[in-house]
Amino acid sequence: MRETLLLLVSAALVNNVILARFLGLCSFMGVTTRIDTAVGMGMATTFVITVSSMADWAVETWLLVPNDLAYLRTVTFILVIAGAVQFTEMAVRKLSPSLFQMLGIYLPLITTNCAVLGVALLLVEGRMSFINSALFAFFSSLGYSLVMVMFAGLRERLAVSDAPRLFEGPPLGFITASLLALAFMGFSGISA
Amino acid sequence: MIDQDLTRYDAAGQLAADESAALARVVAVEPGLVWLEPMQTGSCGGCASAAACGSKGIGTIANRLEARRFAVPGHFALRVGDSVEVAFGNRNLVRAATVAYVVPLLSAFGCAGVAQSLAGQDGLTLLGAVFGLLAGFVAMKFVARRLEAGGALQARIVRRHLPTIDFSYPGAQCDA
Repeated sequence: MRETLLLLVSAALVNNVILARFLGLCSFMGVTTRIDTAVGMGMATTFVITVSSMADWAVETWLLVPNDLAYLRTVTFILVIAGAVQFTEMAVRKLSPSLFQMLGIYLPLITTNCAVLGVALLLVEGRMSFINSALFAFFSSLGYSLVMVMFAGLRERLAVSDAPRLFEGPPLGFITASLLALAFMGFSGISA
Repeated sequence: MIDQDLTRYDAAGQLAADESAALARVVAVEPGLVWLEPMQTGSCGGCASAAACGSKGIGTIANRLEARRFAVPGHFALRVGDSVEVAFGNRNLVRAATVAYVVPLLSAFGCAGVAQSLAGQDGLTLLGAVFGLLAGFVAMKFVARRLEAGGALQARIVRRHLPTIDFSYPGAQCDA
């Protein structure tokens, strides 16, 4: 139990997808101008990362490893992720068209960014059981969402701050992101 | 009968503090109904070779945007091809995302946890997760229906969107 807890804390904070592994940076900079959109994007990404990681675990365990096809891992995972996202999009569209339309404007359901593939590949290295893999993926994406919301909150405040003209916008965003990454380095002591 | 005069940029309603705006293009105008398509820039379809690419098949941006057309009831002075700003309440956006993503995910974890504690085998746990996910989607349908009945999922046209014209360089032209 203690190992599982450490694994989950490590997934969310110590080895944070964005600030420690530098994955999913495009959405990190692009969708964090407002807290609400960051929350929505975090939820969408959490869903996609968790579901596709479950599917990737099954493919890895029952298809790639027994047939000695590990060299096809990256290509297969991309296919599985795309399939999972398409299935989700179809399911939401079929079951609730109005929900699909609303999320279609703001949240790209296709959240096949590098963070999704990155977490799936990390799971393979860990060689965990299914439930641990699913929890690892879930907490990794929770860490992603946490950082997205924190950064969006900071950017909302920075937007109304009296910053030098040359630093306004993305430059100040990048400086803030680097300071946030430095702050998250403080969590590295937890795993020791 | 026109509800809102959208022929002038500053004549329409204002964006409320708790709303987010997005751009959409008018694709059809019917009596009492305007069909819109979300405008999306960047990534696929946004590069310099987009014109030569010409792909509009399954999974491309053009294909997805076409699938996301939505209708806004009301009479507006709009024509096909016009760009408009549409707004949703921020709280509604978060509620919609919660219903679409969190409900199925929690259901999947709940069923996977039960299967794991009962059987303790990876295969059965995976089956439990799949079952929970499907059950979560069904639950999502009913919760979304309640949201829809309360009008939380309805977009609102804020105003017509005109491109910003930069007069700061020589030869600047109005392309509106």
